[in-house]
Amino acid sequence: MKVLELKNVNKIYNSDEVKVHAVNDVTLDFAEAEFAAIVGPSGSGKTTLLNLIGGLDMPTSGEIIITGTNLSKLKSSQLIDFRLNNIGFVFQSYNLIPVLTAKENVEFIMTLQKWPQKERDERTFELLNAVGLGDRIDSRPSKLSGGQQQRVAVARALASRPKFVLADEPTANLDSKAATTLLEIMEKLNHEEKITFIFSTHDPRVVKMAHRVITLEDGKVVSDVKLE
Amino acid sequence: MKEEFKIAWRNLWRNRRRTIITSASVFFAVFFAVIMRSYQLGTYDHMINNLIESFTGYIQVQHVKYQDNPLIDNSFDYNDSLASAISEIDKVVSVTPHLESFTLASSGTQTKGAAVIAIDPVMERNFSDPESKLVKYRITDEAVTRLKHAGAIPDNVLEKVKKNLGRSFSSSARLELELGLADEDNENCMPEILKCTEVSNGFLTANDEGILVSDRLASYLKVAIGDSVILMGQGYHGVSATGIFPVRGIIKIPSPEIDNKLIMMTIPAAQKFYDAEGKITSLVVNLTGKSDRVLKTVKAKINILLPDNNTVAKTWYELNPILYQQIQGDSQSGQAMLGLLYFIIFFGIFGTVLMMVSERKREFGVLVAIGMQKKKLKRIVTIEMIFLGAIGLVCGLLASIPLILYFYFYPIVLKGDLANMMEDWGWDAIMPTAWFGPYFYWQAVIVAFMVVLATLYPLRKIGKMKEIEALKG
Ligand SMILES: Nc1ncnc2c1ncn2[C@@H]1O[C@H](COP(=O)(O)OP(=O)(O)O)[C@@H](O)[C@H]1O
Repeated sequence: MKVLELKNVNKIYNSDEVKVHAVNDVTLDFAEAEFAAIVGPSGSGKTTLLNLIGGLDMPTSGEIIITGTNLSKLKSSQLIDFRLNNIGFVFQSYNLIPVLTAKENVEFIMTLQKWPQKERDERTFELLNAVGLGDRIDSRPSKLSGGQQQRVAVARALASRPKFVLADEPTANLDSKAATTLLEIMEKLNHEEKITFIFSTHDPRVVKMAHRVITLEDGKVVSDVKLE
Repeated sequence: MKEEFKIAWRNLWRNRRRTIITSASVFFAVFFAVIMRSYQLGTYDHMINNLIESFTGYIQVQHVKYQDNPLIDNSFDYNDSLASAISEIDKVVSVTPHLESFTLASSGTQTKGAAVIAIDPVMERNFSDPESKLVKYRITDEAVTRLKHAGAIPDNVLEKVKKNLGRSFSSSARLELELGLADEDNENCMPEILKCTEVSNGFLTANDEGILVSDRLASYLKVAIGDSVILMGQGYHGVSATGIFPVRGIIKIPSPEIDNKLIMMTIPAAQKFYDAEGKITSLVVNLTGKSDRVLKTVKAKINILLPDNNTVAKTWYELNPILYQQIQGDSQSGQAMLGLLYFIIFFGIFGTVLMMVSERKREFGVLVAIGMQKKKLKRIVTIEMIFLGAIGLVCGLLASIPLILYFYFYPIVLKGDLANMMEDWGWDAIMPTAWFGPYFYWQAVIVAFMVVLATLYPLRKIGKMKEIEALKG
C-alpha cells in the first residue's frame, strides 16, 4: 500500500530576479514500512523536498498525496491537524520543547490528540524504553546530550503512530557513535512499528544503513535504489 | 486547558530573572499607585469631611446674591415647611439652618475678624455636632507640671507632651493620635495624661445669649470660659450691630483656618444681634452619598421646591471653588504622574514580550509544524502574559492592603515644618488613606489593559507566522 505519492512536483523560488528550481519534476512513491534516505550535495533540494512532503511548504506545481489526501486541497488549519495525525517530524537541531520533560515531550502529540492518560503513559514508556532512555523520563532536554535529545525526538515523532516520519539531517549535529546509535534505533522502530522513515543525509555511514537511497541533484531525482 | 496552563507556567520561569524583573516592575507600579492614590483620596476626603460635613454641607440653600456678597442683607426668611420638604428628599440626612456673617471680635486690647455661625444647638447635632468639638484636653504649663508631679511618667513621654504645649483636643483619640506614643507608654501613661490635661467646658442652650469660641481664636483673644467678647458688625439694612457675649465654651476645629476665626451662637441671639428677625443665610443640607450624580439630582430636586427666585441651591464645590480646584489640580497631577509611571512599566512589559517572541520564534515554528493549532499556541502565550501581569498585580494589591488598613485607622500625623505648611494652607495636618474603592480596582483594569495591548504583538506574529520561515530560526 502506498502511504505517500509525489506526482510531477516542482518548487520554484523567485527571489531577487533569480529563479531557483529547488525541486524539479519529482515523481516518487513510498510504501508502508520503508526506510529511505534522500541524499545529494548541499543545495540539491533535500530540505525543500522534505518540507513539501511534510506539508510545511506548498509545491509550485504537482500533487502530493498522503494516503489518499491531496495536501494542496487542505486549508491551513486543516493542514496542521493533518500533520498532527499523519506525519512525525524529527528536526536537525532536535527542537524538543525545552520546558517539558522527556516523557512530556513524547506525550505531547498524544495530548494534542486527546489520548486518555493511561494509553499515553503506556505508549510513552514503551517508546522511551525502545530508544534506551527509560531511566531519563523526567529529565528536561537541557539535561540530555544531543544524541539523547534526538532519540527523544524520534520517540516523539513515532508516538501517535503516524503514516511516516520525516527527518531532515537527523544526525548532522551528532558525533558518529551517537549517529550510528540513532540510526540503529530508527531502523529497529521502523521494523517493529512498520512506520515509514524518510530522512535526508550526506553522512555515508548513515546512507549505508538505508534500505532505499534516493539521490537528488539540482532538484531532480537522479537515482532511486532499493537495497535489501 | 490544563496542558496549556502547565506549559505557560513553565515558560514563564524559563528566564527567571526577566520574569522576576517584569513582575517586580508591575508590582511596584501597582503598589505605588494604590498607596499614592489612597493617600491622595484619603486626604481629600478628610478635608471634605472637615470643611464640608462640618461647615458648608454638601448643598446649601442661599440667597442668590449671598455667595458674592455675604451680608445679612442677603438673607432669607426661615421656612419650616421648606426645611422639612427638603429633608424628605432621598439621600438627604439633615437640613440645618445657619445664620452666618463676619464681625469683629475683641477682648481687652485684642481684636480680630471672626466668622459667626449661628445655629440651632439641637438641630446642629445632626450636622456639625459642635458639642463633640468642645475642647476636653489642653496641654498647658500647669498640666505639664501636674503631670511631672504625678510621677511615674517617663521622661521621653513628658518630652512628647511638652512638644504639644498649647494644643488642645476635643477627644482623647485625637490627643492619643497627635502624641503618637509607643504602645506600651500609651497604655501606662495615657490615663494620667488625660487626667492632668482635662479641662471643663460648656455648651449653648436653646436660646442661649452666649457664644462658643474656636480654640485658636480664644487664645488670640486671650479669653476663657466665663469671659466676655465684644462683637461688632453690620446688621440688617446697614444698622450697626454691637453686643457683648459671654463665652460658654471653647471648640476645637480640625481645620486651622476655621479654628482661627470661628464664633458660634444661637440663631435667636444672632437674629437679635443683627436685627434680622426670622432671617437665616443658609439651609445646610447634608447627604449620604457624595458622588457628583447624587449632588446634582438632589440639587435639582431642591431647586424645584424653592418658593421664589431669590433663593438657590448650590453644591459644595460651587460654594468652595478654591478648595475644589485645589483638589482637582492635585488629583490630576497625581494621576498624570501615575500615567507616566504606567507608561514606563508598559514598555518594560513590551520589551519582555519582544525578547520572548524573538527568542522563541523557532520553537513556535516547531510547535505548529508538529501539529499544534495556532489558536492553541496563542492561548498559551496569552496565558503566559496574563500570569506575567497578574503576579505583579496581585502581589502589589495584596501588599498595599495592610498599609491602607493601617493608615486608615492610624493616619499619619505630620509634624514640624510639613505640618505648619499644611496648616498654612488651611488643611488639617493629618493624612489618612482612603478606604478601598474604585481607585483600588482601577489598577487591575490598567494592568489588564497593558497586558492585552502587549499581548497583541505575539498574537499577530503567531497569526502571520510561516512554519518553514520560523523553523529556520
Ligand atoms: N526560501 C528560499 N528562497 C529562495 N531560495 C531557496 C529558499 N529555500 C531554498 N532555496 C534554494 O533552493 C535550493 C535547494 O535548497 P535546499 O532544499 O535547502 O537544499 P539542501 O537541503 O539539499 O541543501 C538551494 O539552491 C537554495 O538556495
